[in-house]
Amino acid sequence: MTADVTAPGLWLIGLGPGNLDQMTILALKVAKGCSKLYLEGYTAILPEEEEARLEELVGPWEKIMRESIEFPKKILDEAKSNSIGILIVGDPMQATTHIDLESHCQEHGIDFYLIPGLSATSLAVSLSGMQSYRFGRQITLPYSYGDYLPLSPLEIYIKNYKIGLHTLMLLDLDPSGMGMKQPKPMQPNEVLYLIEKMVQKIKDEREGFPLLEIPVCDWHAILLSDLGSNNQQVFAGTLGDLSKIESGKIHSFILTAKFTGMEEEAFNRRRYLA
Amino acid sequence: MGRKEDNIERAVEVMRVRDKIRNLAIAAHIDHGKTTLSDNLIAGAGMMSEDLAGKSRVLDFDDQESARGITINAASASMVHDVEGTDYLINLIDTPGHVDFGGDVTRAMRAVDGCIILACAVEGTMPQTETVVRQALKEKVRPVLFINKVDRLINELQIDGPEMMKRFEKIITKVNKLIYTFAPAELRKEWQVDVKKGTVAFGSAYYNWGMSIPYMAKSGINFTQIFEYCHNDQQKELAKKAPVHRVLLDMAVDKLPSPLVAQEYRIPNIWQGDLESDFAKSMIKCDPDGPLSLMIVKIWMDPHAGEVAVGRVYSGSIKHGESVWALGGAKAERVQQVSMMVGGDRIAVAEVSAGNIAALTGIKSAAAGVTITRNKDDTGFEPIRHYSEPVVTVAVEPKSMKDLPKFVDALRSLAKSDASLQVSTNAETGEALLAGMGELHLEITTYRIEEEQGIKVKVSEPIVVYRESIEGDNKGRPFEGKSPNRHNRFYIEVEPMPDDIIKELRDGTFGDGPVRTKDAKSTGNKFGEFGMDKDLMRKIYAINGTNVLINDTKGIQNLHETRELIIEGFNDVCKKGPVAEEPLMGVMVRLVDAKLHEDAIHRGPAQTIPAVRNSMKGALIRARSVIFEPMQNIRIDAPNDVIGGVTGELNKRRGIIEDMPVDGGTASVIGKMPVAESFGFSNSVRAASQGRAVWNTENAGYVHLPRELFNKVVAEIRDRKGLKSELPGEAQYMD
Ligand SMILES: Nc1nc2c(ncn2[C@@H]2O[C@H](COP(=O)(O)OP(=O)(O)O)[C@@H](O)[C@H]2O)c(=O)[nH]1
Repeated sequence: MTADVTAPGLWLIGLGPGNLDQMTILALKVAKGCSKLYLEGYTAILPEEEEARLEELVGPWEKIMRESIEFPKKILDEAKSNSIGILIVGDPMQATTHIDLESHCQEHGIDFYLIPGLSATSLAVSLSGMQSYRFGRQITLPYSYGDYLPLSPLEIYIKNYKIGLHTLMLLDLDPSGMGMKQPKPMQPNEVLYLIEKMVQKIKDEREGFPLLEIPVCDWHAILLSDLGSNNQQVFAGTLGDLSKIESGKIHSFILTAKFTGMEEEAFNRRRYLA
Repeated sequence: MGRKEDNIERAVEVMRVRDKIRNLAIAAHIDHGKTTLSDNLIAGAGMMSEDLAGKSRVLDFDDQESARGITINAASASMVHDVEGTDYLINLIDTPGHVDFGGDVTRAMRAVDGCIILACAVEGTMPQTETVVRQALKEKVRPVLFINKVDRLINELQIDGPEMMKRFEKIITKVNKLIYTFAPAELRKEWQVDVKKGTVAFGSAYYNWGMSIPYMAKSGINFTQIFEYCHNDQQKELAKKAPVHRVLLDMAVDKLPSPLVAQEYRIPNIWQGDLESDFAKSMIKCDPDGPLSLMIVKIWMDPHAGEVAVGRVYSGSIKHGESVWALGGAKAERVQQVSMMVGGDRIAVAEVSAGNIAALTGIKSAAAGVTITRNKDDTGFEPIRHYSEPVVTVAVEPKSMKDLPKFVDALRSLAKSDASLQVSTNAETGEALLAGMGELHLEITTYRIEEEQGIKVKVSEPIVVYRESIEGDNKGRPFEGKSPNRHNRFYIEVEPMPDDIIKELRDGTFGDGPVRTKDAKSTGNKFGEFGMDKDLMRKIYAINGTNVLINDTKGIQNLHETRELIIEGFNDVCKKGPVAEEPLMGVMVRLVDAKLHEDAIHRGPAQTIPAVRNSMKGALIRARSVIFEPMQNIRIDAPNDVIGGVTGELNKRRGIIEDMPVDGGTASVIGKMPVAESFGFSNSVRAASQGRAVWNTENAGYVHLPRELFNKVVAEIRDRKGLKSELPGEAQYMD
């Protein structure tokens, strides 16, 4: 697997988040060894300046979007006799989409190799100052689409909160809901708006659903922006305050539950002062 | 004060005296003189200068009427008529003479209580006269008869007194036979017209004179004198002694019912609600102080005020500035202006009370056929249309892009004034799709855009709208549809809806669109009342036209959360079926199972909607897709000697002749014809009958497209839409 000349098959290569300096030496070696390279541009985004220097590091590459990942016929055909690398921002197996590729390969008798990368989620936990064992189920906040606005992320958060666990919240990239247009990472102000809309919807639809007493803008949270990049930022505060932040491109949040003493100090050290 | 202003003032005064009001229409064949007569009535009553009468046509807003012989709009004009010192208010409503698009004629007839049947003395009654009279009688509108163009009998045909009597008798007999056949049984004797009883008048609308037995007695003029006046070129003299407006309006006042009298027997006939309710009782009594009930007959565009809704007040009074409901509208709206139509003018008044015709501005959701009330739960005159089923579409666009804004406005008001018209516009290209009830309907609509609005347009060839449906089911063999990421799977079974339920769905009995979770139970119960499985139907998610979506799954976590997306997938397929992307009809769609990804982000719109679409399309194919084509009922009336050519024309077009009654010199053909074969029918019939046939169509629903035409029709549609020629099979929707 660490051979200089990479074997035929499909190689999923984690780049790590935000900055190509986060790539492991192994990832770099494998990428260079592949006969053809794709960059997956649908589940996560690489900053422009990093995209610009990717070729310098690993050689020529081509960007692919949702269609080619979900219906990967062409790529699989190529992988039958060539070493095909798919570069993935963060860690490949964090996205369900990529786990599918493993099963596709198995179905077609194609060898499948995995090179893990540093993930935005582990980075987020690590930079937040919260204790890694005090996290509950992770959620992704989707854009709303017409009348469609799923409430389960909110329910999961509330469940986590009630048993004293923090919630890592990733944000949707695709306002069209269709994975066609250029990805558009959700911004902090939209986050506040969407959560408030969810709370309202739950109130309208379900009588007696136990909501948090605290108004959404007073929820405690940590905002993590452009993780792994040179512009990485971490701010703690209320959602109301954090929603005013306009800097940064790609964000995630940790919605915090009750702190331990150490966590509270860490939170205050990161506090955003407008 | 001029005569006209004086009249307006008097009109406002009489309006509240309910037994002094007459609402009437004129029923006539094209060219028999309806326009001339209407103008003379209005002019005679001092609502228009007399020299203008006959020249400016107050009632005829659309010059298309004369061009085509079809009256499209119903405008109204009110006038004051004095009988021996007492003022009466006459509200004249113009009736479209011919094809009843979306119920125009019915509506106009519902707004009047009496009608003047106008027949030309030379030609007698004609097919169109019969058609309109039939419609009037069906709505319990009481008739009187006016025989017009008598001057021509005397001067051109040079006939004598006894011969004239014979001709009159022939016309009267014919009219009475019509009344006997089509009037409600309890009234058909009482409503017979009779010269001696004063329910028949004759004269010349053109030369402005008229005569009736009561008027002879009153004026002392006899038959011999009439002949003399005519022979000696002294019809002007005659018109001074026996003006046609006086003779006819006297007859209307004396012989036609006031709203006070008419509403008592008409309301149970034209309104389908609970007759024991206060609302009904107030209408039956024509109570100006009761709850408001007003039915809109027509919407027209006023160059200054914008959309004006004209309607009949059956109960209560409509007041300037008050807040009312246009039933079916989303919210209460304020009446900006209430007016009376006096002659050709719209005169603002403080209120218009029961028994009268009012013109309103400010009510955005008003449309022809809509009932205006103060309470949004009142029952209207027509069912609220949630859904109409157009059968033909054309693409229309302005020839010049600078007309685009005007064009968009014109379409908006057309869509409102005609409930049977569906308009969808592409704001960027300016192209609009007009969907309507037939080729003729759309021709007239585009004509109105060109002539009334002065916008030149390009029009595509008409296209038939077919329906897709199924002839079997896939019960027990659900079709699996996968999301692109393959983590979400939906399992759907489809089956045909029972015919009677399809009809109810079409009538809007169960509503249309997504069913709110909290309404599902009551909607399900309602289906139960119609013999459907109540427990199943309570799981309803949505209705789209005549298709229904049911969530027949049990205990699937997070399914509720994807509800909107599932409905969207369902709606997509209802709009575009799998065979030819034509709308779907009459299918019950049951979601029987689903597998969903745990994380909402992986079962978002991009995943769920295509999965549902696939599952539903595959299920439809598995249940054997079929195509339905729209049919028209057709009735053609034509003189005996040309009817052969007309039936030949029908036979050429896959038409079915069901009946061919012959009545005197007129023969009728009653039958059905596929809409797809009806294009160009107008011209062929005109040619085959030398323009002497009158014809009428109405939608007759959908029938199975003959098997042998299936491939041809589907191939044509797919080709036109740029779809692959090969028909999709189940396999296409499996992955
Ligand atoms: N001689 C004569 N001509 C008439 C009379 N009434 C109408 N006309 C003419 O008949 C034609 C059709 O009349 P019009 O009012 O337009 O008929 P409509 O189609 O029923 O509205 C016109 O040329 C009128 O001038 C009448 O009493 N005598």
